[in-house]
Amino acid sequence: MALNFHPPIHYAKSEYIETDTGNKVSRRATIAGPQNIILGGKTIIASGAIIRGDLRRTGPGHAVVISLGRYCLISDGCILRPPYKTYRGNFNYYPMKIGDHVHIGSNSVVEAATIGNHVQIGKNCIIGKFTIIKDCAKIADNTVIPPNTVVPALALFAGSPGQFVEDLPESTQELIDAQTKQYYSRFQPLEQQQ
Amino acid sequence: MTLPSVLYHCTCSNAYSATNAPPPAHLPSSSYAFHPLSTLFFCEECDLVRCNRCVAVEVSGYYCPNCLFEVPSASVRAEKNRCARNCFQCPHCSNTLSVVGSDPPPNPNPRAPPNVNSSGDSPFFLFCNYCRWDSVEAGMTFEKPTGLAHQLQKNEDLAPETLEFDRLKDHFEPLLRASLHSSSSPAHPVTSTPMNAITAAANSALNRDIPGLRRKGRGEKHNLKDEWGVYRARIDSANSGVDAEGEVDFLRDCEDVNEIAGLEQRWGSSWAHSIKANDLEPLRVPLHSKQSKRCPECRHILIKPEQKSQSVRYKIKLMAANYLPLIEIMLAQPPAQMPTALQQRTAKGRPGAAQGAGAGASGNVTTVGAGADELGAGLLVSGRTYQFQLAFTNPLYDPIQVRLSVQRAQPTGFTLPTAGTGTSTKPARAPFAISLPTTPFPISAYAEAWEYDDDDEEMFMDDEELEDIIAGREVGAAGGMGALRGGRPGGAGGSEKGNVGVLERKANVTKVGGEVVLGKDALGEIKFNMLVSYTYRSDDPQSNADDGSSAANTNKTGTGEMKTFSFYSVVYLGTVGPRGATR
Repeated sequence: MALNFHPPIHYAKSEYIETDTGNKVSRRATIAGPQNIILGGKTIIASGAIIRGDLRRTGPGHAVVISLGRYCLISDGCILRPPYKTYRGNFNYYPMKIGDHVHIGSNSVVEAATIGNHVQIGKNCIIGKFTIIKDCAKIADNTVIPPNTVVPALALFAGSPGQFVEDLPESTQELIDAQTKQYYSRFQPLEQQQ
Repeated sequence: MTLPSVLYHCTCSNAYSATNAPPPAHLPSSSYAFHPLSTLFFCEECDLVRCNRCVAVEVSGYYCPNCLFEVPSASVRAEKNRCARNCFQCPHCSNTLSVVGSDPPPNPNPRAPPNVNSSGDSPFFLFCNYCRWDSVEAGMTFEKPTGLAHQLQKNEDLAPETLEFDRLKDHFEPLLRASLHSSSSPAHPVTSTPMNAITAAANSALNRDIPGLRRKGRGEKHNLKDEWGVYRARIDSANSGVDAEGEVDFLRDCEDVNEIAGLEQRWGSSWAHSIKANDLEPLRVPLHSKQSKRCPECRHILIKPEQKSQSVRYKIKLMAANYLPLIEIMLAQPPAQMPTALQQRTAKGRPGAAQGAGAGASGNVTTVGAGADELGAGLLVSGRTYQFQLAFTNPLYDPIQVRLSVQRAQPTGFTLPTAGTGTSTKPARAPFAISLPTTPFPISAYAEAWEYDDDDEEMFMDDEELEDIIAGREVGAAGGMGALRGGRPGGAGGSEKGNVGVLERKANVTKVGGEVVLGKDALGEIKFNMLVSYTYRSDDPQSNADDGSSAANTNKTGTGEMKTFSFYSVVYLGTVGPRGATR
């Protein structure tokens, strides 16, 4: 399922840092607590994104706060912040896990606990605390998902509060797989100027 | 803004017409007959495309969309299709509710949200953390934080409308059983909507009450109807029900529209319920289902999901995308903005670099021509000639030969010139004319290797050239045959060389060019039906005896069994705005 007519998306080479595993992270993104963040490879973090790896669970030792899979996209102005709650009188942050092939549209705020594989999140969404999004689900643009919501697999959610709209086609997994890979290969550096 | 698109035809909309051809693209009914490729299925037995509208759907499992519990079908019935665990919907905003306990000490800050843990003291209540509704408002508190669904269901079961419905069901039950026995083979063996027992009973009741319908019903049922008693309702509906006077008083004093429950909020419960927003009760979350899908004709399974509710894998999944070539379209710039074929060629070399119509990510497109804005907005200008490219991606492991043609039948006033063959002979009042390559062109086979992430294209170049020699052979011929067109009515000097024909072949993708000439009076959506036929070598020699319904036909040739499959698609190019609106 190739997408043949999509033009390359160019970025200034100097703006992005490319890691050994093909992650492309904008220098204009705010990555707090990078030692607590895992990127799976070939993941793009666009400029203006904020990833709060510093909001870690209290206690000694190393802790993974945010983990992202392969072929993810965190678009411009996104905020990824681990969820928190007070449990038995103790305030704590909890880790956030995001699967492979997850695209998050620009200016969305994500405080989910778990996001599965092949999930699409639109622009200007708010994903509430401890939300669980299962595989191949899709959140339409401008959706507000209240805290503690569960989005089942292959469901399209939209609105405020986010509601189930319809089941996505059976081929969603292949479609998203191809789209995310295509996006990564279209995301090409431009040496300088232009 | 609508981008150019290609949709595929499912023959199910032709069930009542003699031909397999779809309705002409300009008719409103056309939109019902075409679907995106990713939503279509393919039945190997019938050798036909199937869509969600025609497949037979069966429930293969139920689950709660909130707690994701897989509910056995036996309990689905007892629990009335709703979750029997601790999942509830807010009656105001349909958000999921949380069970919270009351705080024993008075909260110093009354505006702070309640502690969203089920640790707390009795009484417990349900709380919506979106609209801040709580069940205390509706007079509902609970002793224990568990088993709330049970308590709610007890309320539901005691409601007068539930009791009435159950009685009605009991009443119809004997008839239903009798009719199931008498007619073991229903008249319509395949219905995409599952026909349940209640519907059947209602149908019979309708047949009984309306004399006209009865005559059409089957005669064998006739004797059953007499064995049937008269049903008496529990409640006389004419005299009871809503307290109308009280409601009028309430409405008279009502100052805030939010005090009245909206239609959406009351939709799920019976109409006898109060209209006051305060009286709305929490709902148990309705269950969702996983579905398997069957071919409506041969009953073969097209989709069979795995049992696990949240698995996205399928035991059987016959998607049309694995059988039919994927067609993508891009509109090139009009010749006014693109004077030479040279620029076209550069655009081809760096796909999309100069074309604004290609993708949504417009912010990063580097070179954007003058015409790109209006193209990006999906607006065409009448009287101009536009070039477009179609990219065909072959999903099969065999190379295919594709032949395109524009659907001829245009019964309303104008005729579309047939592809490439002397458009000058057609009347000049045609709103637009399409030119497409007429000779078959090859697409190489799909190979897994092309899917690899590190696209070292050079690596496969040799393979591809080999492929050309083996399968293609007339690449050159196909490439050069674009210039078949004579003088066009529009005549707006599009370059005659190589815009119509094969433009590029790479891996299992072939790009062909086409051209649309818009007449002076073209207006509205520019779209046309395109018949795509492709020929491939069939691996399995099972010739499924062309029984008329099949769109494919097989013919023995020297090189093995070649099969041809044809399908219709609709190509949407853009919209011609009213004159003056664009300029």
